[in-house]
Amino acid sequence: MTRLEQSTTQASRFAVLSSLISGWELALVVALFAVLGGFAVGAPGFFDGIGGLLQITQYFLPFGLVAMGLSIVILTGGIDLSVGATASLSALVMAQLWAMFGLNIWLAAAVALVLGGLLGAINGLIVTRLRTEPLIATLATSFIYGSIATAVGGDNPPSGFPDSFNALGIGTVDPTGLIPWQLVLFAVVATATGLLMGRTSFGRKVVMIGYNSGTAYYSGIPVQRVLLSSYVLSGLTAALAGVVLAAYYSAARSSMGDPLLLSTLTMVVLGGVSIFGGEGTITGVILAVLVLGFLRQGLLIAGYSDMVTTMVTGVILLGSIAVKNTLSTRRNLLRARLRRWRTPAHSPQTNPTVK
Amino acid sequence: MSDTIHPIAAETAAVKSPSAARRRWPRELVLLIVIIAVTAGIGVADPGFVAKQNLQFMILNSVVLSLVALGQTLVIATRGIDLSVAPVMGLGAVVTGLWAQQFGFPLWGAVLASLAMGAVLGTLNGVLVANLNIPPIIVTLGTYSIYGGIVFIYSDGVQVYAVPPEYATFGNASILPFLPIPIPVVILAGVLGLSWYMLEHTVFGRALLAVGNNAAAAYSAGISCASTVVRTYAIAGTLACFAGLIFVSYTGSATVMTGTGDHIELQSIAVALIGGTAAAGGRGNLIGTVMGSLFLSVILTALVFMHVPPIWYSAGEGLMILIAVTVGMNQSRAGGERT
Amino acid sequence: MRKTELLVGAFLAVAMLAGAASAGDAIDTSKKLKVAMVPKLIGLSVFKANELGAIDAAKKLNIDFLYTGPVTASAQGQVDVFNSLIARKFDVITTTSNNPTQLAPALKRAMAQGIKVVSYDSDVSPDARDFFIQNTAYPAMGKALVESVAKYTGPEAEVALLSSTPDATIQNEWINALKTYMAATYPKMKIVTTQYGQSSPSQSLTAGLNILQAYPNVTGIIAPDGAAVVGAAEAVKKLGKTGKVFVTGTSDPDAIRQYVKEGIILESPLWDEVKEGELVMYVARLAANGALKDNDTFTAGDLGTFTVKDKVIIFSEPLVFNKDNIDQYKF
Repeated sequence: MTRLEQSTTQASRFAVLSSLISGWELALVVALFAVLGGFAVGAPGFFDGIGGLLQITQYFLPFGLVAMGLSIVILTGGIDLSVGATASLSALVMAQLWAMFGLNIWLAAAVALVLGGLLGAINGLIVTRLRTEPLIATLATSFIYGSIATAVGGDNPPSGFPDSFNALGIGTVDPTGLIPWQLVLFAVVATATGLLMGRTSFGRKVVMIGYNSGTAYYSGIPVQRVLLSSYVLSGLTAALAGVVLAAYYSAARSSMGDPLLLSTLTMVVLGGVSIFGGEGTITGVILAVLVLGFLRQGLLIAGYSDMVTTMVTGVILLGSIAVKNTLSTRRNLLRARLRRWRTPAHSPQTNPTVK
Repeated sequence: MSDTIHPIAAETAAVKSPSAARRRWPRELVLLIVIIAVTAGIGVADPGFVAKQNLQFMILNSVVLSLVALGQTLVIATRGIDLSVAPVMGLGAVVTGLWAQQFGFPLWGAVLASLAMGAVLGTLNGVLVANLNIPPIIVTLGTYSIYGGIVFIYSDGVQVYAVPPEYATFGNASILPFLPIPIPVVILAGVLGLSWYMLEHTVFGRALLAVGNNAAAAYSAGISCASTVVRTYAIAGTLACFAGLIFVSYTGSATVMTGTGDHIELQSIAVALIGGTAAAGGRGNLIGTVMGSLFLSVILTALVFMHVPPIWYSAGEGLMILIAVTVGMNQSRAGGERT
Repeated sequence: MRKTELLVGAFLAVAMLAGAASAGDAIDTSKKLKVAMVPKLIGLSVFKANELGAIDAAKKLNIDFLYTGPVTASAQGQVDVFNSLIARKFDVITTTSNNPTQLAPALKRAMAQGIKVVSYDSDVSPDARDFFIQNTAYPAMGKALVESVAKYTGPEAEVALLSSTPDATIQNEWINALKTYMAATYPKMKIVTTQYGQSSPSQSLTAGLNILQAYPNVTGIIAPDGAAVVGAAEAVKKLGKTGKVFVTGTSDPDAIRQYVKEGIILESPLWDEVKEGELVMYVARLAANGALKDNDTFTAGDLGTFTVKDKVIIFSEPLVFNKDNIDQYKF
């Protein structure tokens, strides 16, 4: 192989790669490997074999589940502040159905998921029918769902679910203890969300609405129905996270979902989803979930306190987005030069569809 | 181009925002009527509700949130959001409170310190938003963690539990012996007046609304978007930090959870939106914000007087928020674009 | 030459150990231990008081001590901290829990890896810890709380409860205990309302103000939560009801000192948080040594002798603060 041929192959490989994955996602991949590599070397106890590493994902994947649904809502230009309360309430209803009425825990979990979808539908209806700002609508419902969760939970909320159910939160698929059930579940949900947003007309409609709801409406997109569906999906993933958290803790509490909101929001925006909607990819969010999740657990294992870990996460969030913005300006200049010898690729800045 | 804030999104916002035509009545008037109706209704059932002392404390209890929410309103009017007001308020309360408790730091010094500290932290938010072009929610999510950490580092587990008498006077006493209006209420009235004048009658206020309405157009019209945004966040930080001082003077105590533990960031956003400020920017209703804050305070007290079980308080609050933001809105399809 | 030195060293070590053993209850401190103390959240002075005592005892007991916890009072945050401590191979984890059930699986994982778990203050599920140090026996605390107001309000008073949250474990234990005691001793005393301050100073103050305005016949407020007792006392002060309404509750003395001196809180039961922190380290040491049985007695240095009953150690009788003794306690 001549030198020229080699470089051409590399160039085309680069082109293929960059069409699959955007610059920001590439940066997140690099960040993920940096985090994993850095802690594997620097934090004894972090890398305890592949199994150990995968075990760590159990500590943060419920956030990832919430992030999937929340991403869809944010892509429409909305927001769902009620994810935490939805998770708590769904999990508590499941737990009480099991504890008070002796319902099979899996059936109860199914009821919880339906409930999550319903709670999301209420959010969606308030946003679309009452034309309330999503921010205030979901803040109000988070208060209401939170109250109901406290009432359902009572003064001694249920705990001690069957081990077969708890396996969903802490168990592994294989008897050797390598692949956690949570990881499998997340992979399924993430793939489904990614396909939904990237390969279906629903996904394109969501992004179109987020990009410009007026134009979307005049192009014949059923804006209200799509918005409603996005909130239903957010409620559904929040409820799923609640069920998984219940299995992880083998308990359900009304305060259980509280930590979900701000962390998940951080994951979504670090993943490159524009908070104003209409821009971003599920791949980016998935990567951000892994980066932030491993980062937090790694810092804790390295011996930093929760306080330092929280502050460092804040700094990284700010720093990375600042770098992203600076680079995207530069990259546009660079890209103009590259275009002379490379087939033009769609840039995410101008193309309002999700990859 | 670092001045512009996502021009395309700004355009979208204009389409998305509920048009002014859809509103029948000014929101602050609706809220005032609701507040009076609730007060009168509960007052008939239990005269204790309309006792002078109860009315006074319902107002006083809303002052801290009102101050934070006024800053939040200005930020939202620029099409931004400030989540970091919670730790900034906490920092104001803990730092000035600890200085007062540990070495009797004078009140006038605490006032200056809280204003300065808030201005610095707010300016940092503003610079990150305007000059580094980072979306406001990301900036303030980040600084939320950072400022929150500083509260922990500074307090190191020491709480504020006793402040010198001059602070207690500042936070509780009437302005004049014959005028039974507490000092914090007077301060709030002053801040409201000043910020209202600033927003409605100054060049800066116009620039602020212009940036929120359409940053690209504002930029083209020669408005310095960056400095407008920076100054707005600085004001929000200053008010939040000063609210912290009022808080510690009023309650006499502060912990690392002050501000963040009560989710003052979400409450202040809620109050601003209840008051009629549009999340999409370009409009700020400061009087509505103060009314919204008073409304929440009255509702929470009313729930206690109505003997509602405590677990339903936040549901009641949520329900009343929904009613407040939907009542008085014309439900006809005149707006059309969202159908 | 080398061998002799070693032999001598070994001999000396054995002699010292024997000497220590013969001194009575002295504790084997030969192996350095890594012990962590995980409060509900860092940054609150009550938990800081535990830390002070623990640091003191850790020095004596050859313990490498770490005080670490979440920045919000969340079980999720505590579990994250536990997971990191497990990975860092700590010998003992001591904790006061945000809630008993959510922490259990993580602590069981720790126990499965040979880490000893000691809970104090607010317990976790019994199967998720080796030992539990209860501040004071619940019935004793219930009695102390009722007596602290009943003496001043009279036996037929209307009282209000101001707690933290509806599902707070230890608060609910105390409330149940005080209701039982009240029903038996002061049958005419009436609890007219139970409100919650979410452990927040501002929400507790608002709740206190609302109680006093909405229930004007209330003459006593029992607030079994640190923030709640301060909020209730401040509300009494603001409404000028000092001497008419009496407040009691569980709070560290620093936080309530001014209210005790002003006569709003006449008595307030707690326990010595600093010494409790010391005891936590003693129990940690003994648990790691395997020197403590489920039912046992042991001596913890100057703290005295304690009894273990079904893995539970009761730390002390309630320590009732009043205006005469409160200045002896600084935490």
